[in-house]
Amino acid sequence: MSRGFHEYKDRIGGALPATPFSAEKHPDNLAGFLFILPNLVVFSAFLFGPVIYAFYLSFTEWSIIAGEATWIGLENYRDLLYPLPWANDWAVLDRPTENLWWYAVINTLTFVIGTVPLGIFGGLTVALVLDKRIRFRKFYRTTFFMPVMLSGAVSAVIWRWILSVDGIVNSLLAPVGLDHAWAGDPATALFAVIMIAVWGGIGFNMIIFLAGLQNIPEELYEAARIDGTSQWQQFRHVTWPNLQNTYFFVIVLAIINSFQVFGIAQAFAEGGPYYSTTVIVVRIYQEAFQNGNLGYASAMAFILFVFVFAFSYYQYRIRGQGEVTY
Amino acid sequence: MPKSNYDYPGYERSGAWYWLKTITLYVAITIGALWTIGPFWWTLTTALSADPGAGIVAIVPETVTFASFSALFDQVPVGRWFFNAFVFAGAVTIFNVTFDSLAGYAFARLDFVGRDRLFLLLIATMMIPGMVTMIPVYIILSELGWINTYRGLIVPFIASPFGIFLLRQHFLGLPEALGEAARLDGCNKFRVFYHIYLPLAKPAVATLVIFTFMFTWNNFEWPLIIATSQDMFTLPVALYTVRGQYVDNWGLVMAAATLIVIPPVIAFLSAQKYFIRGMTLSGFKG
Repeated sequence: MSRGFHEYKDRIGGALPATPFSAEKHPDNLAGFLFILPNLVVFSAFLFGPVIYAFYLSFTEWSIIAGEATWIGLENYRDLLYPLPWANDWAVLDRPTENLWWYAVINTLTFVIGTVPLGIFGGLTVALVLDKRIRFRKFYRTTFFMPVMLSGAVSAVIWRWILSVDGIVNSLLAPVGLDHAWAGDPATALFAVIMIAVWGGIGFNMIIFLAGLQNIPEELYEAARIDGTSQWQQFRHVTWPNLQNTYFFVIVLAIINSFQVFGIAQAFAEGGPYYSTTVIVVRIYQEAFQNGNLGYASAMAFILFVFVFAFSYYQYRIRGQGEVTY
Repeated sequence: MPKSNYDYPGYERSGAWYWLKTITLYVAITIGALWTIGPFWWTLTTALSADPGAGIVAIVPETVTFASFSALFDQVPVGRWFFNAFVFAGAVTIFNVTFDSLAGYAFARLDFVGRDRLFLLLIATMMIPGMVTMIPVYIILSELGWINTYRGLIVPFIASPFGIFLLRQHFLGLPEALGEAARLDGCNKFRVFYHIYLPLAKPAVATLVIFTFMFTWNNFEWPLIIATSQDMFTLPVALYTVRGQYVDNWGLVMAAATLIVIPPVIAFLSAQKYFIRGMTLSGFKG
């Protein structure tokens, strides 16, 4: 008889498995459900229900004015995806109006590619420096963390002033002739948004990296020092490999969050100038709440949902394996 | 305090190389810190200076005046916006702590059918982007006539999977024997939770309170959608709107920004530990 069988027999007390609802197997059935009841109601009404409803909406034409849904099948998805981005020799890259969805996707990808590496490199660098025994390190840590406290929309408004035509950045750059209408030029507006996001996110990455650094056993460094290794060698062979779980977690999280950026882009330039800061969620917001096409906007939201969910699920699986705790 | 290389033989705190490295390090980190803190400082100085439109890079304004603040209070309902932001963040926090501690305890310590599957399902909802549910929730609330009301603002946020997750973790770490002893003394299941375990969960509850409050205070998307008239705005939406209305009056806009920035900064400085814990656990930033 296999070992598994005996374990199983012990676990159920040698008796046949009880029915799922029996008080013997689950003594707290009533109390348990009463305890979670408020949450179940709220989640059903505002999370589970709406996700299913959003999926249905994406197959309908629903305008705020008409206030009712007409089933149109896959039409929303077709209108959204066509013309495909490579049609007419990638015309969408030059003319946002060719297909606003793909233009928003490209803007979002640019934003992700801009913020994620900068934010992570910056956060790791700051964490490495502030993990050392330097003077005022508490003060520095607090300073770098301060922007994280702000709503993206608030930091975007502040930066809009700093980067405005006669703002601080331009008065510093004017003597060398580099002053520029940062927010007004489609070529630079998205970069300004990227910069604001990096400014607001470095402190967050720093904190997670610091937690990761503190989890590396001190003995590993001691052993390395006894071998007389240089600081770079210690980083390369002790710190870097031991941070693997942390930077995986930070990267995936940064990607998930960057794909959903909204407040910064909306408050900095309302998606403009000339759609240059129209990222996916700004696009969804415009279509749903400015143009009133809730069905069409739901189709966009659902594509975003599938993507983000797949990514998060992947992260969740890997995170479970690595057992990273903070 | 971690040890440093210099506590070991063979690593000298001297020589040109050591000083070059040290000085570069301090210069770089200070420049970085100035970059992070600068916008806060300029927000304040712009709000306090007499003529902010002229593009002066004054580190300290020549004349300090509260004219922008008084103009702000005269021209827009700042008091109302503060009130709204407190009602929104306060109510969401109170509901969350109540509901999530109940559920967190149930998922940790009560044995009911399908518990672990339900918990996994709740955790999975943390991966749903906010915009996906906002459109249907907006439709539901407009059917109920809740657009532009406090109910509409608050109710969709009164429970959070993150809060349940956080408190469950904490309850799992408390000894089971405490509850068993109380049960033998005749306490019912709710009293065991309320009198024995909840008081022991104070650190986790504090984290949840501070984190939820700030997260809600900073919420921009939802009030932007649900508040259709000025008197229902919360602060981030109000700032966004003020910026649109007073395009060239940066003194006034930054006065508004200063008022919005002060509460989170004070809260953060006084409860840093809880913030950092909340944020690293949730993977959200405010």
